[in-house]
Amino acid sequence: MTNVLLGYQPLFDLFLLHLGMAYSQWLVLRAGVFSLATVGLAAVGAYTGGILVVTLGFPAPVALLAAALAGGIVALGLSVPLARLRGVYQAIATVAFIQIVLSLNIYAAGLTGGPQGLNGIPKTVGTLTLLIAGILTVYLMYAIMSSRLGRAFDAIRQNEAVAASLGVSIVRHQTLAFVISGALAGTYGALEAFHSYALAPSQFAFPFLIAVLSYVVLGGRNTIIGPIIGTAILLILPEIARPLAEARMLVYGLLLILVINYLPRGIADTLIERARARRLSARLAKSDTAPTTAARS
Amino acid sequence: MSLTLNNVSKRFGGVVASDSVNITVPKGKITGLIGPNGAGKTTIVNMITGMLAVSDGQITVGDRDITHSFADEICRAGLARTFQNIRILPDNSVLENILIGFHRHEECSTLAAMLGLPAARRESGKIREMAIAMLRRFGMSALADFPAGGLSYGHQRKLEMMRALASEPEFMLLDEPVAGMNDVESDSLAELFRELASTGMGVLLIEHNIRFVSKLCEHVYVLDGGRLIAEGAPGVVLRDPEVMAAYIGGEHA
Ligand SMILES: Nc1ncnc2c1ncn2[C@@H]1O[C@H](COP(=O)(O)OP(=O)(O)OP(=O)(O)O)[C@@H](O)[C@H]1O
Ligand SMILES: [Mg+2]
Repeated sequence: MTNVLLGYQPLFDLFLLHLGMAYSQWLVLRAGVFSLATVGLAAVGAYTGGILVVTLGFPAPVALLAAALAGGIVALGLSVPLARLRGVYQAIATVAFIQIVLSLNIYAAGLTGGPQGLNGIPKTVGTLTLLIAGILTVYLMYAIMSSRLGRAFDAIRQNEAVAASLGVSIVRHQTLAFVISGALAGTYGALEAFHSYALAPSQFAFPFLIAVLSYVVLGGRNTIIGPIIGTAILLILPEIARPLAEARMLVYGLLLILVINYLPRGIADTLIERARARRLSARLAKSDTAPTTAARS
Repeated sequence: MSLTLNNVSKRFGGVVASDSVNITVPKGKITGLIGPNGAGKTTIVNMITGMLAVSDGQITVGDRDITHSFADEICRAGLARTFQNIRILPDNSVLENILIGFHRHEECSTLAAMLGLPAARRESGKIREMAIAMLRRFGMSALADFPAGGLSYGHQRKLEMMRALASEPEFMLLDEPVAGMNDVESDSLAELFRELASTGMGVLLIEHNIRFVSKLCEHVYVLDGGRLIAEGAPGVVLRDPEVMAAYIGGEHA
């Protein structure tokens, strides 16, 4: 039994790492920012953490903090041009950002190890650290979304004019969402670096972007559980059906097309929505019959 | 203190949607703004609330100039509005649609909100109570948890009004608030508007139904083609030949 569980430990670690990235993506979308920058910001965090530890000999916790800070600061800088754009233009600009990070990583070989990547990172992060990070992340998302910030994010995403007419500053809230998302991506980038001995620039490129986006779209964009479901399904599926593991990106692509067509809100959101509708219509039926029985008696 | 438009103009390229308009909305009264389709009524509300840039002129609340302020600042200056083409937040429940209306009065720190500290949780609890009380006042408590997107037309209009009221404005701009409602519903809203005015709120009421406006307003403004063509007591204004011509012309257009 323990052996079987141990066999799945690497998969569980991967799940926790990707879950953090998924929440980084989820949060910006929730606030109505169509950014895909998470992967690029994760690269910033990963390399900040890796370089601080390997080249400069910083202790891992300090480097982790610096990585979060780096992700947040780069996001803050990026939010300035992004605030002037909307929708698909934001998506294009952030994909360009990922490309820039990727190129800088390769050019600055002296610092980053170039195409060969950064090697010899001491492994300081294990399942327990990742689990704690995961729990803290879910709590943070829950706290944000049940506060005035979450309410403002929801309003902005659905209708900017309404949000503004109710006193919500769109720029301030979207910037905040983007900076938190950047800090989160930076943190998980560094966690990945400290978990896996080595970093390569190609890790933080297009396939990873698609994976992170798929977790959120498949799981659900408007519930906290959405990214958990999406990440779990997309990581476990290729493991269960081994032959599929080879064609991971193909499976993701097909699943995405299916989900977008038949469950456009994602699996978790759709199921939660249906359960709620059932509960409400049951309640409505009860309140409809109550007066009639009262009248009869 | 009042909301004042001083020679306010709006040009869309060649179209003059608003031509040197002067309007005063005093507190504690319902002021009417009427005019045929395309007269420029919604344009006026959009300019007041910062959703359209003002081409010329000045808009003030008391002695504060809001002509070029952003929409969210204008809300915090004490103005709220409803929309002619209903804009509720369809993904959210009825209750959540009202909660966002309280945004202006939420003051816990960003850090407290992010970390879910007790201060933030207390504040969320408090506005929840207030939103529930608001639903009760409008007789919609039973709908609190329903998705707002599925509400009937009349309920959606009321929901927009509750959301705007939640911001506790000093001035309320209502863009055709009873359009599409039956007489019973619109009478009960008329009662509500009177009540709001009696608590000191300044109300600007845009409405096509002239009977409804004459019943509620002491002072009405009539717009046609972006220009004010008459103002005064409804009884007098509505007998004005130019107003009658505008309305008959408007209805035939
Ligand atoms: N964004 C815009 N761009 C160009 N023209 C506009 C715009 N908004 C309004 N207009 C024009 O300005 C004029 C006034 O429109 P407005 O919507 O203010 O009228 P209204 O009095 O509210 O009409 P209704 O009774 O139909 O609601 C119209 O001729 C309209 O076509
Ligand atoms: Mg209008």
